[in-house]
Amino acid sequence: MTRRFSLKRLLWYVALLGMLLAAGYTLFLDWRVRDEFEGRRFALPARIYARPLELHAALRLPPAALERELRDLGYRNTPLDSEWGWYTRNGDDFEIAIRQFVFWDGPQQATRVRLAFNGTTLASLRDAQGKDLDLVRLEPLLIGGIYPANNEDRVLVRLNDVPKHLVNALIATEDHKFYSHAGFDPRGLARAALSIVSGKGLQGGSTITQQLVKNFFLTRERTLSRKLTELIMAVLLEVHFEKNEILETYLNEIYLGQDRDRAVHGVGLAAQHYFGKPIQNLTVAEGALLVALAKGPAIYDPRRHPERALERRNLVLRESRDLGFLTLEQYAGARAEKLLVNARPGTGTSPYPAFLQLVHVQLRRDYADADLRSEGLRVFTTLDPRAQGAAERALADRLAQFDREKRFGDAGLEGAIVVTDTQSGEVQALVGGRDARYRGFNRALDAARPVGSLLKPAIYLTALTEPARYTLVTPLNDEPFLWTSRGAPDWLPENYDREYHGEVPLRTALALSYNVATARLGTGLGVERVLDTVRRLGVERPIQPYASSLLGAVSLSMLDVAQMYQTIASGGFRTPLRAIREVTTQEGQPLKRYPLAVEQAFPPEPIYLLTFALQDVVREGTAKSLRNWLAPELGAAAKTGTTDEQRDAWFAGFTAGRLGIVWVGYDDNRAARLTGAGAALPVWGEMMAALDPEPLAVPRPDSIEMVSIDPQNGLRGGLLCPGSVELPFTKGSAPEGRSPCTGSIDSAIQAVEPVVGRAKSWLERLFSR
Amino acid sequence: MRTAIAVAALVAGCAAMPEGAPPRAPVEEPAAAKPPVPASDNIAVANLVVNARGDAAAGRLANAGATLERALRIEPRNPRLWQELARVRLKQGEFAQAESVALRSNAWAGTDPALRTENWRLIAEAREARGDAQGARAALETAARMGQ
Repeated sequence: MTRRFSLKRLLWYVALLGMLLAAGYTLFLDWRVRDEFEGRRFALPARIYARPLELHAALRLPPAALERELRDLGYRNTPLDSEWGWYTRNGDDFEIAIRQFVFWDGPQQATRVRLAFNGTTLASLRDAQGKDLDLVRLEPLLIGGIYPANNEDRVLVRLNDVPKHLVNALIATEDHKFYSHAGFDPRGLARAALSIVSGKGLQGGSTITQQLVKNFFLTRERTLSRKLTELIMAVLLEVHFEKNEILETYLNEIYLGQDRDRAVHGVGLAAQHYFGKPIQNLTVAEGALLVALAKGPAIYDPRRHPERALERRNLVLRESRDLGFLTLEQYAGARAEKLLVNARPGTGTSPYPAFLQLVHVQLRRDYADADLRSEGLRVFTTLDPRAQGAAERALADRLAQFDREKRFGDAGLEGAIVVTDTQSGEVQALVGGRDARYRGFNRALDAARPVGSLLKPAIYLTALTEPARYTLVTPLNDEPFLWTSRGAPDWLPENYDREYHGEVPLRTALALSYNVATARLGTGLGVERVLDTVRRLGVERPIQPYASSLLGAVSLSMLDVAQMYQTIASGGFRTPLRAIREVTTQEGQPLKRYPLAVEQAFPPEPIYLLTFALQDVVREGTAKSLRNWLAPELGAAAKTGTTDEQRDAWFAGFTAGRLGIVWVGYDDNRAARLTGAGAALPVWGEMMAALDPEPLAVPRPDSIEMVSIDPQNGLRGGLLCPGSVELPFTKGSAPEGRSPCTGSIDSAIQAVEPVVGRAKSWLERLFSR
Repeated sequence: MRTAIAVAALVAGCAAMPEGAPPRAPVEEPAAAKPPVPASDNIAVANLVVNARGDAAAGRLANAGATLERALRIEPRNPRLWQELARVRLKQGEFAQAESVALRSNAWAGTDPALRTENWRLIAEAREARGDAQGARAALETAARMGQ
C-alpha cells in the first residue's frame, strides 16, 4: 500500500517537475518571442547611388548614352500608360516616363517628358503637354549597398502598400486559414505527424506564423524537438501580436532569390529585382510569381527554370481563384500573361565594386560600420556610369589586344583607371583591374607604384614660379650628370634613348621627357623645394628627399597622382577628390553634405605656363600619338610615365572637363617592355574619345603675354621668321633679343603690329559670331 | 604703302598661326552696366541660381550651396556661379572658402571688370571677417583699381 502510494507520488512529482520545466521553457520562449520580435528591426544596408543624370536643353549627350542609362535604370522600352519607368525612342526623339524619386533636396514627382536630340546635343525638353521644361533629373542608378555580414538585402514595405491580390495569393497558397488559426493548423500538424510515422520524415504543414518563427529564431535542422519549439513559439507569437503585424513581417522577411552574392529578401526588393518596379504596381500574374517563389527561389527561378516557374505561378493563381480571391476573368487574364521578368542580369552587391570600396573608405570616416550596414542610409555619390563604362571598356579591350599580340610581355597585363571632374574634383570613374566586376585587389586604391616621369611637372612648376629665372624657352643642359650627396647613393640619371641632347629649351625637355636635363633642373632648384611643390599639389604621402625621387623613383597611389594633376587641371586650385555628395536617412532626411572645397595652391601664371607645356607634350612630345584618338584642336594636356626596366606604364592627362589617370603593368612587378606612350596612352585615348571631350581652353591671366619666338635660337621671332611659334610668358620675362630673321624690316613690322592686332580682333569677332 | 604691308603681314600672320595654339581670351566688349545680369543664358542654370538665392535668403545655406554646385556641374566655367557660391560661403561663415571660391571666379572672369570688382569686394569682406584688416584693405584697393 505504502509502496504503491509512494510510487504514485513519485510519478506525481515527476509530472509536476516536467510541467514546471515545460512552463519555464515556455516562459523563456515567451520572453524570446516578445523581446526579439518587438525589438526586431530589419538591418537595412546603406544604399549607394550614382550621380543622377540631369536633363536640360543644350546638354551634350549622345542619344545612345541616354538609352544606355535608361536601360541600366531598368526602364522598359514599351509604353505603359498607367505606369512609370518606361521609354519609347523614335529616331532621336524620346518619350520617358520618369519615376518618382526622393533626392537630397526633396522629392521629384514622377513625370513624363519628351526629348529631341540634334546630333549629340539635347535640343529640347518638354512635358507631355509640349511645354518647355528647364531641368529634369532621372533617378540615380542604384550601384550597390553596404550589407550586413550575410549580404541580406531588402526594401521594407508596409502591408498597405502590398497589392491585395498578392496577399490573397500568399494566404491561398501557403496558409488559407491564416486569419482564423491560432498559430498552427491541427490538420496540417496531423499530416506532419503521419508523415513521420510513415517514415517520410518531417514535411509540410507549416503555417505562415510557423514559417516566420522558423526563419526568425531557429536553425534549419528538422527534428521533432525543434518542431515542437516552433509550435510553441508560433502560438506565443499569435498571442502577443496582431495577424497583420505577423503578415507584414513575413512579407519583409521571406527569402525570394539570389543575385550573385546578394540575398534577395522580402517582396519589396523582389518586385524590383524581378520586375524593376515598386511593389504597388505589380500585376496579378507578377504577384503570383513572387508567391510561387516562396516555395523555393532556386527551384522556381523564372530566369533559369521558366517552365517550372510558370507552372507553379499558375498553381498559385488557381488556388486564388478556388478561394474566390480572383474572378474567372481575372484568373484567365493573369494565366494568359507571359513570364515577364527583367532580362537584366543581377549585378550582385554592386556592378562597380572598385568605386564602392572608395565610397566605403570615405563613409567610414564619418559613420560607424554597424550603422552603414543596418540603418538604411542613402548615399549619393559622384559616379558617372557613362565615364565608368568608357573606362572599363577601354581598359579591358586594349589589354586584351596587348595580351593577344604579346606586345609588352606575356599575357596577364593589368591596369587601373581614375577619372575625375577637372573643376569639382568629383571622382567619376574608378576601375581597379581589367575585370571590373572583381571584388578583390583594387589597383586604383590599394596599390602604390613608382610613378616615373609623372612627377616631372612638379619640377617644372617649381621652376616656372620664378619667371625671372625660368621661362618656357630657358635653355637647359642635357649633358652627362652625376649627383653625389652624403647619405645617399650616387645618382647618374640617363635618358630613355641613352643619348644626351646638349642644350634644350625648357618646354622641349618636358615635352620629350629628358631625364638628365630634368635632373639638373630639379637638383638646381633643390629637392626639398620640388617636394614641397608636390605636397602643395595635394600629395600627402611622405616622399624620401632623395634626388632620385625627382625622376619618379617614388611610389604613389592612383589617387595621389589624380590629386596632383587635379590641382594643375583646375588652374592651381587644390580641390580634394570626392566620391560622395550627400547622405540622407532612409526617409530622405539630409544628414550630411560633402561640399565642394577649393584652395588656391599656386598663382595662375606658372600653372598657365605648365599647362601650355603639357599641351606641348601632346602637340609634339612623347604623347604625340594621342592624335590617333583625339583631334589636336582639343588641346589635351598630358604626361607619360615609364619606370625602371619598363615595369609600369602611366598616362595622366586632361581635357576641359575630365582628368584621367591610367596605369598599366604586371601585378608581380616584373620587368617588361612597357612605356607610358605605348601601353597607357592608347587606353586613355580610347576612353576619352568615347566621352566627347570639350577643348581645353585655360583662361589666360592678365599678366601673361603671348610672344612670337623663333625656335631656332629662342629669340623673339616674328611674322617673317619661318616656324615662329607664339608662346606664353609672364609679362617682362620674354627674351629681349630678336632673331636675325626679323632682319631690317623689323621696325616696319613693329609699326604695323598694332594695326594687325586690331584687324585680327575684328576678324575674330566677325567669325566668332 | 603702310596699308599694303599691313595687309601682307596680316595674311602672313594668319598663315603662320601655330597649330593648336590655345584659343585667345574672349575679345573685350563694352561691359554691360545693367545691375541685374542673369547668371547664365542657359535657363536651367539661371533658374537654379534663382532657387539658390531664395534658399540663401531663407537661411537654407547648405541647400543654396548644393544647388549652386548643381549649376556648376552644368556650367563649370561660369564665373558668376562661382561668385554666387563665394557669397553663400561668406554667409555660411566659411571665410577661407569664400575667398578661394571668389578667386576661382576671378580665374574665369576674363575681362569683366564689374565681376572682378565684386569678387575683390567679397574677398575683402571675407578677410575682414577673419580679422585680417590689412588684407581686407589690400583687396578693397584692388577692387577700386578694377572699378576704374
